[in-house]
Amino acid sequence: MSRKTRILIARLGLDAHWRGSIVVARALRDAGMEVVYLGNQNPETIAKSALEEDVDVVGLSTLSGNHMILAPEVVRLLREKGAGDMTVVLGGTIPPDDIPKLKAEGIAEIFGPGTALAKIIQFISAKAL
Amino acid sequence: MPRELFQKTAIRGVRKNAERWQANCYAAQKEQSRNYNTLSGLPVKALYTPVDVEHLDYMRDLGFPGEEPFIRGAHPTMYRGRTWTQRQLAGFGPPEETNKRYKFLLEQGATGINGVFDYPTLRGYDSTDPDARADAGKGGVSIDTIEDMRALFDGIPIDKVSTSLVTCQPICNITVQSMYFANAKARGIPLDALTGTSQNDFLMETAITVAPGVLPPEASFKLSCDGIEYCAKYAPHWNPISFAGYNYRESGCTAVQEVVFTMANAIACAEEMIRRGYDIDSFAPRLSFFFSSHSDFFEEIAKYRAARRLWAKVMKSRFGAKNPRSLILRFHVQTAGVSLTAQQPLNNVARVSYQVLSAVLGGAQSIHADAYDEALCVPTELSSLTALRTQQILQHETRVTHTVDPLGGSWFLESLTFDLEEKMESLLGEIDRIGGIVKATDKGWIHQEIADAAYAFQRTVESGEQLIVGVNCFQIEDEVLPIALFEVPETLAIQEAKLARIRKERDAAGVERALSDIARACEQGKNLMEVIVDAVPARITEGEITAVLKRNYGTWNPPLF
Repeated sequence: MSRKTRILIARLGLDAHWRGSIVVARALRDAGMEVVYLGNQNPETIAKSALEEDVDVVGLSTLSGNHMILAPEVVRLLREKGAGDMTVVLGGTIPPDDIPKLKAEGIAEIFGPGTALAKIIQFISAKAL
Repeated sequence: MPRELFQKTAIRGVRKNAERWQANCYAAQKEQSRNYNTLSGLPVKALYTPVDVEHLDYMRDLGFPGEEPFIRGAHPTMYRGRTWTQRQLAGFGPPEETNKRYKFLLEQGATGINGVFDYPTLRGYDSTDPDARADAGKGGVSIDTIEDMRALFDGIPIDKVSTSLVTCQPICNITVQSMYFANAKARGIPLDALTGTSQNDFLMETAITVAPGVLPPEASFKLSCDGIEYCAKYAPHWNPISFAGYNYRESGCTAVQEVVFTMANAIACAEEMIRRGYDIDSFAPRLSFFFSSHSDFFEEIAKYRAARRLWAKVMKSRFGAKNPRSLILRFHVQTAGVSLTAQQPLNNVARVSYQVLSAVLGGAQSIHADAYDEALCVPTELSSLTALRTQQILQHETRVTHTVDPLGGSWFLESLTFDLEEKMESLLGEIDRIGGIVKATDKGWIHQEIADAAYAFQRTVESGEQLIVGVNCFQIEDEVLPIALFEVPETLAIQEAKLARIRKERDAAGVERALSDIARACEQGKNLMEVIVDAVPARITEGEITAVLKRNYGTWNPPLF
């Protein structure tokens, strides 16, 4: 029997908005996934928790504008810890010009404001197969 | 004895005819199939008649503007006497940059300052803290020491212009408001000449922007009340707290929760001030509120009116307030950022216009209109200006300000106002039964309520029950962004250099003394603003003050999910 998809959701740095990350976390849980919700954390704690929790996917959320510094840092730390194959996705207010740069840094997908929950669930289910 | 406005026989006739019309005329037609509810889930009927407000007692339920129960307006003349304050939110990067934006907005006709702070400042960190560096200058202006405060308001006549300090969390407010006051003193401006508002809301720290390692609810609440007490003593024209319903709403609250959570918070503050020995009428006139203007046009207008009537009732029945000013609910409005779309961003100008209109029809004292690019970035100069112009067009061209409470007496609006007020009273009773807002927060009840409401709303968007233009209908495939986005100017390097210089220049013994004064006041349970206003001129940093506070009060991990 295959185990449930495990996903860690964390908010980057000191960003203050939790609505998006909580709503997505609930939707993923309702879609049958196991969700570990961390709240605000720095990249080091996020990477460490991802390994400890043995998740398939790391979902990052930020609306503050810190994404160009902190999101690639999470990917780098995961690689450093030998978990470079873990899928990292990002949600929040991300200016369109930053999207190709983030993808080049190893973020698998970026979900901007207004993204349908179904689209996020579908993407994560496919990645975790 | 209530004196009902409508004659019973006349109402009977209207009811009979309304039933006839419903059965014979309306029911024969087709309705589009959808739910006719308000955004907060209250049912809306096809038609309202006097029957829906048959028990209306004009003097008891509505009265006159500037008189109890204040539902028709906080002041007798409303906008004929004084236009609402046009207070556009601004803040980004180092203080020198935000100072230019403040001046730009004032030159363009803004009538107040609305200063927002970056994430590290709001959470009590220095820009250079390892956990804060990536957020320095993001979402607001960066403040580390009193020097930054001096630069932020340089050349701005703060004895004439009123300033709203969006110091959301008390851990931020206790320091940043102290810096503002200390800077005023240094400029020779007495505190009783200052007009403005601090946000200073403990729910912002413990429920709305939940993060591990914040101050425990009781400690955060204590700091908030220290600000109220300080202003009651020294700064009588300063609103020391703005119950931030706007932010509660942005996090997911319904209109009812938004108002009730602010009111439960205000009730707790009033109880604490009375416990500290203050008469209700000595501080209540300075308690102020901050609400959202969301996309349900009529529900928002009814919400403001219901809140005014409920507040008058609460202040009178719970606290026996005698000064009429204690009964008046005054509020600032921000149009709902959460309703803005990143898709087809210029559509947001239309959304914001309707939202500003509902705030004006609801009798707001001060308004920030959102900029069309807020779902994408910090507003540019152009988008900020367009938002300000939206307010000015409403003020000067539409003539909606000519009469006070123009929708008062609408059967629909009055009926909706009663319905909302009833729901608000019942939810307020629920919080009373839990033991008040501080306890409800400590238990995680507030967090759960808001998260449930946020998720419920999102599911209506997901199912298509709630349509959002450009998001789940009328989308444009592969849209090319029609606007230029703002880039936050370099902040960290500038703040880092400033802090390094200040740390070298400042008098070490003075710093030591300032910080130990704060620590001692903590231990003795004294009012901390009293000490911090005098301590910040020694150029101690916000992070240093936070460290003292957290050492004394400990930290708290709010329920997260």
